[in-house]
Amino acid sequence: MAGIGTLIAYQLKPKNSAPSLPVSLGCRHGWPRPRTSDQPVNTVSTLTSHSTSVESTALSSQIKQLVEEAAHLLPSQGPIEVFVHHNTLHALEDLPFHEAVIRGAKQFGGQPYLSEQTFHKYLEAGRITLDDLQTVLRQDLGEAGQQRIAGLSTREELRLSMLQHLIQAGSAAELQWIIAETDTLKRFRTDVAESEREQLIEGALNWLQSPAAADPQFASLFSSYESLKRGGSSSKREEFALALLWQLCRNGVKTSAGSSATQCPLRPRDLVHSAYGFDSDRDVHGELIRLSSAYLDQGYADWPLPDRSKGLLAAFIELHADRKFQPTRWLRTLAAELERIRHQKISAEASVVESLEALGVAEENRVEVITQTLLSLRGWAGMIWQLEQSPRNAVRPVPAGSLCEFLAIQLLLEKASLTAFAEERSGRNTSLLQMLTDGAAKLETRCRESQGQHAFSLFQIAQIRGWPADEMAALDRTQWDELNAEIDAFTLTERQRIFQEAFELGFRQPALNALSFAFRNRQQETTESVEASAKRARPAFQITTCIDDREESFRRHLEEVHPHCETYGAAGFFAVAMNYRGAAESFYKPLCPAVVTPQHFVQEDVGYTFQGVHKTRAELRRRLGRAGHSFQWRSRTLLGGIAAGIVGSLATAPLVAQVLFPHLTSRLQRRFGSFLQPPPVTTLQLERYAETPGPENGGIGYSLDEMADVVVRLLEDLGLTQTEQFSRLFIMCGHGSSSLNNPHESAYCCGACAGKRGGPNARAFAMMANDWRVRRLIAERGIELPEDTFFLGAYHNTCDDSVVFYDLDRLPASHHADFDAARNDIETARQRNAHERCRRFESVPTTVTPLEALRHVEARAQDIAQARPEYNHATNALCVVGRRDWSRGLYLDRRAFLTTYDPSVDDEQHSILLRILSAAIPVCAGINLEYYFSKVDHTVYGAGSKLPHNLAALLGVMEGTSSDLRTGLYQQMVEIHEPLRMTFVIETTREAMLSIMQRVPAIGRLCLGEWVHLAVIEPADRNCFVFRNGQFEPHAFAGEQLPTAKSSADWYRHQRHDLPFCLVKEGKTN
Amino acid sequence: MGVPFWFHFLGLVVVASPAMLVALLGLKTLLGLRFFESTQAALTRSAVVIGLLASLAVLAMMLIFGTRHVPVEVGNWVLIEETGLHFFFHLKFVFDRLSVPFTILSFVLCGVVGAFASSYLHRDDGYSRFFLLYAVFLLGMVVSSLAGTIETLFFGWELVGLSSALLVAYFHTRPGPVRNGLRIWTIYRFSDAAFLLAALMLHHLAGAGEFDRLMGSGAWPEGTATVAGSSVFWVGLLLLIAAAGKSGMVPFSGWLPRAMEGPTPSSAVFYGALSIHLGTYLLLRVSPLLDVSPTLRICVLAMGFISAVYGAIVSRVQTDVKNALAFASLTQVGIITMEIGAGLYYIALIHMIGHATLRTLQLLRAPSVLKDRQMLENAIGGRLPAPDSEITEPRWRRSLYRFAHERGFLDAMLDEYIVRPFVQIFRFFDSCERRWTSWLSGAPVEQPDPSPAETPAPCNDIQEVT
Repeated sequence: MAGIGTLIAYQLKPKNSAPSLPVSLGCRHGWPRPRTSDQPVNTVSTLTSHSTSVESTALSSQIKQLVEEAAHLLPSQGPIEVFVHHNTLHALEDLPFHEAVIRGAKQFGGQPYLSEQTFHKYLEAGRITLDDLQTVLRQDLGEAGQQRIAGLSTREELRLSMLQHLIQAGSAAELQWIIAETDTLKRFRTDVAESEREQLIEGALNWLQSPAAADPQFASLFSSYESLKRGGSSSKREEFALALLWQLCRNGVKTSAGSSATQCPLRPRDLVHSAYGFDSDRDVHGELIRLSSAYLDQGYADWPLPDRSKGLLAAFIELHADRKFQPTRWLRTLAAELERIRHQKISAEASVVESLEALGVAEENRVEVITQTLLSLRGWAGMIWQLEQSPRNAVRPVPAGSLCEFLAIQLLLEKASLTAFAEERSGRNTSLLQMLTDGAAKLETRCRESQGQHAFSLFQIAQIRGWPADEMAALDRTQWDELNAEIDAFTLTERQRIFQEAFELGFRQPALNALSFAFRNRQQETTESVEASAKRARPAFQITTCIDDREESFRRHLEEVHPHCETYGAAGFFAVAMNYRGAAESFYKPLCPAVVTPQHFVQEDVGYTFQGVHKTRAELRRRLGRAGHSFQWRSRTLLGGIAAGIVGSLATAPLVAQVLFPHLTSRLQRRFGSFLQPPPVTTLQLERYAETPGPENGGIGYSLDEMADVVVRLLEDLGLTQTEQFSRLFIMCGHGSSSLNNPHESAYCCGACAGKRGGPNARAFAMMANDWRVRRLIAERGIELPEDTFFLGAYHNTCDDSVVFYDLDRLPASHHADFDAARNDIETARQRNAHERCRRFESVPTTVTPLEALRHVEARAQDIAQARPEYNHATNALCVVGRRDWSRGLYLDRRAFLTTYDPSVDDEQHSILLRILSAAIPVCAGINLEYYFSKVDHTVYGAGSKLPHNLAALLGVMEGTSSDLRTGLYQQMVEIHEPLRMTFVIETTREAMLSIMQRVPAIGRLCLGEWVHLAVIEPADRNCFVFRNGQFEPHAFAGEQLPTAKSSADWYRHQRHDLPFCLVKEGKTN
Repeated sequence: MGVPFWFHFLGLVVVASPAMLVALLGLKTLLGLRFFESTQAALTRSAVVIGLLASLAVLAMMLIFGTRHVPVEVGNWVLIEETGLHFFFHLKFVFDRLSVPFTILSFVLCGVVGAFASSYLHRDDGYSRFFLLYAVFLLGMVVSSLAGTIETLFFGWELVGLSSALLVAYFHTRPGPVRNGLRIWTIYRFSDAAFLLAALMLHHLAGAGEFDRLMGSGAWPEGTATVAGSSVFWVGLLLLIAAAGKSGMVPFSGWLPRAMEGPTPSSAVFYGALSIHLGTYLLLRVSPLLDVSPTLRICVLAMGFISAVYGAIVSRVQTDVKNALAFASLTQVGIITMEIGAGLYYIALIHMIGHATLRTLQLLRAPSVLKDRQMLENAIGGRLPAPDSEITEPRWRRSLYRFAHERGFLDAMLDEYIVRPFVQIFRFFDSCERRWTSWLSGAPVEQPDPSPAETPAPCNDIQEVT
């Protein structure tokens, strides 16, 4: 164990060497430094391009490199059409989680955790318990927790008090107001306990008697309260105790020297903003947003940006250089400047250098300034970088180097704006550099953090702890320093961190208990009835769904409906990584995890009989499509608009219908639209005849060997290698989601299919597994499928909870009865699933029946006014990797990803577990962390509110008509989410897990950096171990019983919030 | 209880139902009560339905009885009768061929958007604020469409302006929406000033603000103006400025994209559909003036033409959905204005109604653009036809692109040539005054107060409290 521990400690070490992280360090001296004080710095005329070409090439490549470094910090979300969940702080993944969120706060300005106020609400509601807080504190402090601080309390007590009681804090002005306008200095805080109050008053009275009271600095206090020596009203005594405490705290803080060096901002815009209140970003961003949007546009605008193909800078120059007319005052210098750049053929990189020099940025600060500048408009900058880097994701990619040009333009504009401001402020004689230097000096003189704020915190803590005044008065200088340092050390972020850990513990502990209990329970049953299980009948049917947390409830309900069915979970592309094109689609789309580039092409064909119909319909679709497009387009033009406007009253019908009667409208649309759809009978062109795969005729499909590979791989993942394990009907169920008026629709679909719908993958897999030639090939590899096992593809829409089946025509007559039975069960299960989902929707009463619930979710999917068609992955917190037979029957509240894995079929190297986890851990963690960050700060990390979203350039959404591109998840999507890091519970040994962490760096990084929590349940001795600080520690499970419920519905009925775990009885097999 | 009674009764119901809604939602907020979302939605729904039914009933009665002009008198709100001073604020509503369709349109669109918003804004913090402003807007629309006097019209006009500006600033925690809301408010005030001047002049000319008195006896659109002379031109011009401000025509078009900051439903109905047509509605209402003054007619035509061409050019380069639709709306509003200028009043009315509904639908479905596009591409079997190949030459096409890209420099020009001199003049007056006062009082010249942005945050320590 120890050996592994050191190994891991070694891996953890190089956390500071993250290559792409410019470390921001404040300048300590004056800022900025003009090279010579008397040099005339008219930014436009005096700067010349760098003399020697060698020097400039070196500089160019240096700038290029800096831009690339900065680009790693930009949001990595691509076009919204293909929304792939990923860790928002992916760039900081080399750091441990807690360090990364703090670095993120510095670099991006986002909140690291939920606010302290929110945590306090959880504390009040009992979601976070004091016990958990104490446990976490103990773990965090270790021995040091018992140290007494200034002889008053132990460190642990002190910190616990600061957590338990919300210490009011704020700006000096705010505190000033609190002190002047509230009775904070006259009455105890309401949460001070009776015993503490007595202690405080007693201490104060003791002090009054003591010689210390005679100190002249307390003269006024002494004289006003001296009468209390002879007794007084309790309120008067309270007042005195507090007044004394306040004075003591102020004195104590005053004499204790604590100063924090102020950091002056590096970015010129930040400096000017904080020194003069002028925000050049307002000017610059307005221009830049319009420009980038025009540059990146994927074909929405009728007129493309002139010279787009020459690159961003060239297009910008062509647009603005040599133009006499420019009413915008601050842009007036720009035309000449651009003319010069064009004339002297200055490259983007050289221009960046020039601008940075003109803005007085010292060479060592370049990285940071470039990073901060790009981050100020991170959405657009990130999108440019994305299109530049992965051109295959876009219809119109942009040439490489665009981001650098973007930066050059941004700096040019910033320079222009700041120069104009400098002139405006104090006439033409003040240069930009002069203003910046003055501004830096101005900031220096601003006072440091006020001591009053310190005193006020101390004052509140002393009350809560009940520190008697006489003892405090007796503290000497070093003790005061110690006390102050102690309180300073437990910063807001530190408190939030402890809260976060306790918050997670409050979920993890019960979760691990529940899983341990279920595991032991199941194991006991199995050992008791080995005989019985050996003779167990074949399951009625089997179904494999995606590991998605939304399928957890679907599977659970199915198991409740039919105790003799078995469910499995595997990544939703079912090992079929392909480019797919539907019969009514024009393009191939990759259906596999985003990290994989699929080699194979599969196409949906129309049955031979229907070719004619298909052609007519396709032609009709084409004509209607053209007509529709030209109507939409022309209605925006001058003359077309007149016609459209005159007949526009006809639009009332669809308008009223779509808003007021969405369900009816969609039914009508479907009925009348059916003649437009491809014919009902289609088939997949799955078998390849040509040697190599390709999108054209012969190249489409898989060879038989490849099919066998796919089938074997998935069956092994599922632990299905024995003939007797298979039922007669094996359903493969992909999933996706459909909703209207939702640019983020892709985020709701299957993550394992790159944000697409996974139905075709299930269909393809079923076809492969049904092929007798494939079966013969896999039998050679040791998996013999029973002859009567039939695989059936299906697709589950998680938004309207519909389930459709593919290729039912191929179902043999012998299996019709099996299928009918299974379909009935699925029908009931999906109603119940809809019912369970509805408990989360506030607009649905909790008294609905399952059928009503199903109708409701169907209407939801078809409503154009619906901002939350479904709650997607919200509330996800757990991922269970192991056999279903023990986790079966657990009520996991749609919070768990469920991956099937059977350790007994795995080899010595755990290669099956390795390949399952290589996909599951990064993908689930990506989803979970994106939810985490979007929830803790939906303005910086998330996409804000959906309400004002506006689709821009067909690539992303803006808020209103001129904002940064918003990445991440929107507020309505995460509103019910508890931001917890995901807990992975894996049925395997500790050694296996440690070796996998070593072999797959992505997993190692996430687990060691505590981006996820990891626990294993050892199959042999049934003990649970939690991974902490680089090693596994046993999980303290005292055999807590789980509550039981008759059915899932019994447990969740009339409840809207997150529910505890329970055991659903009905779910038990036998 | 004859026909006139029913006309009067129904007419009052049409106005009273949105007024009641404002009162209910407003009082609730004032008293600090909290309604369930469903209660508010139900109240809104019933107010709209009652108003809509009443206006349909009025329409039916007008058709049955062949009445073309139904005035509903409410009386004077303010009446000052003194010798030499005569002022009154006359509340009067008129149902005629112009106001009835426009009122019905307002109810239908507001009703649909209300239904849309009640689920779209579900659980939003500003839910009740939105619906209060929505009620104010609805009342403003109904009052201004039915107004029988120019002062009543002004009253409704102001309500619409106020609620629009506040809805633009709906997301008041972000600086952008608030800034844009303020800007829109400023432009509205400017056009309101023109409107008020026009109203005063009309009072002066005709002795009252009633449209019947001004526009002659005939029912709309057959009325003939009773006033004549050059003053008609000036009144008309002022009203045209007012209409231009409200409808975002050149040179005020800069506010249109800014108005898209609010939640989608309010952008849809308010700027895309109803509010933007209020200006043209005003022109229709005073259309008899156009018949008197050919110069005015030419001005209207010119204004419409410029706005239509401007809108058409600018909307070509917009890369986001809401901006494209905003400028497309402007194009149509320009054309409607031209139709009014050409005397095609009925066509203008039909065009207005059709355009409003179509645009509402398009704006509500704006987030679907991407999906629609994918569907179209699948239907067509390839990428949508690329827009005109890249503009390289000639130079004028580039200039045109630049003009469209910069949105005609309208905002920049307003800032540079109107706002800036204005501010500078007042700064000059300010400094004169300071010098004046210091000379009189003998005190040193005070520096003007720095703008709040320039003031560094206060950082003094907590003062000693005794």
